[in-house]
Amino acid sequence: MKYQDNIKNVAALQPDYLGFIFYEKSARNFDSESIPDIHEAIKKTGVFVDASLEFVIDKINKHNLQAVQLHGNESPEYCDDLKNRHAKFVSVSHPLEIIKVFSVKDEFNFNRLKPYEAVCDFFLFDTKGKHPGGNGYTFDWNLLNHYPSTKPFFLSGGIGLEEIEDIKQFTNSKASKYCYALDVNSKFEIEPGLKNIEALKAFKKNLSEVLDYKKEHVMNYNVNEKGYYGEFGGAFIPEMLYPNVEELRQNYLKVMAEPDFKAEFDKLLKDYVGRPSPLYFAKRLSEKYNTKIYLKREDLNHTGAHKINNTIGQILMAKRLGKHRIIAETGAGQHGVATATVCALMGLECIVYMGEIDIARQAPNVARMKMLGAKVVPALSGSRTLKDATNEAIRDWINNPVDTHYIIGSAIGPHPYPDMVTRFQAVISEEIKWQLKEQTGNENPDYLVACIGGGSNAAGTYYHYLHEPEVGIIAVEAAGLGVDSGESAATSVLGKEGIIHGCKTLLMQTQDGQITEPYSISAGLDYPGVGPMHAHLAKTGRAEFMAITDEDAMNAGLELCKLEGIIPAIESSHALAIFEQRQFKPNDVVVVSLSGRGDKDLNNYIEYFKI
Amino acid sequence: MNRINKKLNEDKKLLSIYFTAGYPNIDDTVTIIENLEKNGVDMIEIGLPFSDPLADGPTIQASSTAALKNGMTTEVLFEQLKDIRKTVNIPLIIMGYFNPMFQYGVEAFCKKCQEIGIDGLIIPDLPVDVYHEEYQAIFEKYGLINVFLITPQTSDERIHYIDSISNGFIYMVSSASTTGAQSGFGTVQTEYFERIGKMNLNNPQVIGFGISNNETFTQATQYAKGAIIGSAFVKHVTNNGVNSIDTFVNSILN
Ligand SMILES: Cc1ncc(COP(=O)(O)O)c(C=O)c1O
Repeated sequence: MKYQDNIKNVAALQPDYLGFIFYEKSARNFDSESIPDIHEAIKKTGVFVDASLEFVIDKINKHNLQAVQLHGNESPEYCDDLKNRHAKFVSVSHPLEIIKVFSVKDEFNFNRLKPYEAVCDFFLFDTKGKHPGGNGYTFDWNLLNHYPSTKPFFLSGGIGLEEIEDIKQFTNSKASKYCYALDVNSKFEIEPGLKNIEALKAFKKNLSEVLDYKKEHVMNYNVNEKGYYGEFGGAFIPEMLYPNVEELRQNYLKVMAEPDFKAEFDKLLKDYVGRPSPLYFAKRLSEKYNTKIYLKREDLNHTGAHKINNTIGQILMAKRLGKHRIIAETGAGQHGVATATVCALMGLECIVYMGEIDIARQAPNVARMKMLGAKVVPALSGSRTLKDATNEAIRDWINNPVDTHYIIGSAIGPHPYPDMVTRFQAVISEEIKWQLKEQTGNENPDYLVACIGGGSNAAGTYYHYLHEPEVGIIAVEAAGLGVDSGESAATSVLGKEGIIHGCKTLLMQTQDGQITEPYSISAGLDYPGVGPMHAHLAKTGRAEFMAITDEDAMNAGLELCKLEGIIPAIESSHALAIFEQRQFKPNDVVVVSLSGRGDKDLNNYIEYFKI
Repeated sequence: MNRINKKLNEDKKLLSIYFTAGYPNIDDTVTIIENLEKNGVDMIEIGLPFSDPLADGPTIQASSTAALKNGMTTEVLFEQLKDIRKTVNIPLIIMGYFNPMFQYGVEAFCKKCQEIGIDGLIIPDLPVDVYHEEYQAIFEKYGLINVFLITPQTSDERIHYIDSISNGFIYMVSSASTTGAQSGFGTVQTEYFERIGKMNLNNPQVIGFGISNNETFTQATQYAKGAIIGSAFVKHVTNNGVNSIDTFVNSILN
């Protein structure tokens, strides 16, 4: 856009974005002093070509731009720098949207997108031509059939009124799955920079249905750069923790992308943890419930649960960051054992905080941690359970700001923890994809089911499927003695938005904002909050939440023993219990995360069933 | 002018005391405030107790748990303080964690503070950037000063940013720790105090964490406009109740 009246007229059509080119060599270069007032829902977007960061920040500030389109050879580091500078000099809470443009001709190497995944919000595909943008003809959209990413993209390049039928066809094809917006320019111009309002009106009218549909269905469930999932997440931490958390935030994606980090992580998962964990078709269980149930066998991992995927990742991260003292919190002791294990493996000092009451309840795991060389420190404050152990671990970190890394055990805590833990656990869904493809010919199940304490096994199970709308997501919380009994841990039902352990999420609390003590027979689900990703999945309706009582979980656990010869952790039994409550079709493929094995729960099972 | 700014303009070193509202007994709040003022304390931080006080050590944790058991809530505190300005003139600051304020409604909370005559807030787990983006306008609308913490690990750049957002004083945490963990200052601390002193910040600094007696108070105020005592005072009321506050304050000032 270039001319003031023309800008207002286009704005009146309520586009989602409105672009202004800041590139002197372009005939459409925007050189007016200011942009007229337009509705605030329209994102003012600056279009740049290899401009200096100072120049871009200056224009953002001057014109209050909410997004930038980068049309040159800007590197991933450039995008990252731009984000950081924007956070510092412009706004922290309203992050800049970065749209990175890629020009496509007859072919396109999609590997080029990879380094930009973490640093951009959208990709834009334009036709390769003489100029950076605005060449006036389309590329072969079928190329997007091979789009390997789940990042929403803009489709651009020579789109005009004649393309309406093609667009309609395109939106029905697989290639358009992540298409988020259409970007139009030269085909709607009377002259460069002057838009033809009538033509735009006609275009919008013809496409409004498909556009609205698309917008609704390409919702983002991943974390944004500021650490939010929708309205949940963030980093609500005392200043004393800022340097540590910030160091992690700046490094975690970079470190995780390093080839030797990945190689080391993968190798340990394979040789030490025993991955890939099998995807097992549970034939007798399937027969009983007249549907197709597959169990993802995280219980077969070393140390008996999914927790080790995360601790392996984080111990390698801690080493890369030069930390030599490791702290962790634990409830039932599973995460404590998984942390003590990797510390032994790496020869690092390990201190595990555990509520005094849990220490008494979980003696075998306390012994395991000690055998592995960890120091177990009782949390004596508050209610002396998991939430207080987490507080104590955080306090330890405040007191030891330089040499210590805190390995959080679930997809909770301040950003970047929920995202980092999720990415380490994402190996679960990565494997489900190819295993299911191998076994059924289709990598997508109809449903994924996982239990949720803080939400790490669930986040890992869902991660690669979040943006596959045909895959149903079922999240199972612990109802304890019943959701309305006052003894429950069903956070999505009983919780309200609030702040716990550094993140804004749903949590169980009094009206006065004091965090309350949850209850479940399963110590691993006994947390008053839920990871921010899950709060977002609940709020947007992307996931279906179910609550399972102690009794139903225990019975489902015993049933799995009898039907399949597998003794599950009580946490995982909650996920299995949904089949008594919810009907599936005979041909539905339902993948259940069997997050852990039941050895640690034997005493519970013995007492409960008087075995 | 806000009472905090006025106090900071006085030509003296300031003693600020923290106590947990509703502790040792639910109705001690007003008595403690009045006694502190009477004995020459310059500024008071009224602790709004929270179930999960992340930045606090055992002493303040225990007082918070006890205060909540005693029935302290945001409503109760506001009710207790409603006539406080009839008897008390020194600056009053509420110190608490963000979740109870968030549940009360940040704007409603600020409005109530203004009605009562609260001058400022310290919210350790509300980061400066979130405050800046989302809440600063509300705080300013109700004339409240928000006080931010810095620590020995805070970068110069960030200190300047915090200074630019502050409009009262900067709370200088003496060392990387939770409350009540330190005793006495070594060269590491004094070097840090000096470093900050040389930065020529717009806002005066007040040192907190690890100040417990005349010696540490005197040492801290060599480098800063004032000092804050928390855990040591809470311990004192634990052991002596609210009747011998004069003994405690005198032991610090003389
Ligand atoms: C076997 C098992 N499953 C599930 C959980 C719950 O944790 P999350 O929700 O992070 O997966 C735990 C926690 O201890 C566990 O041990």
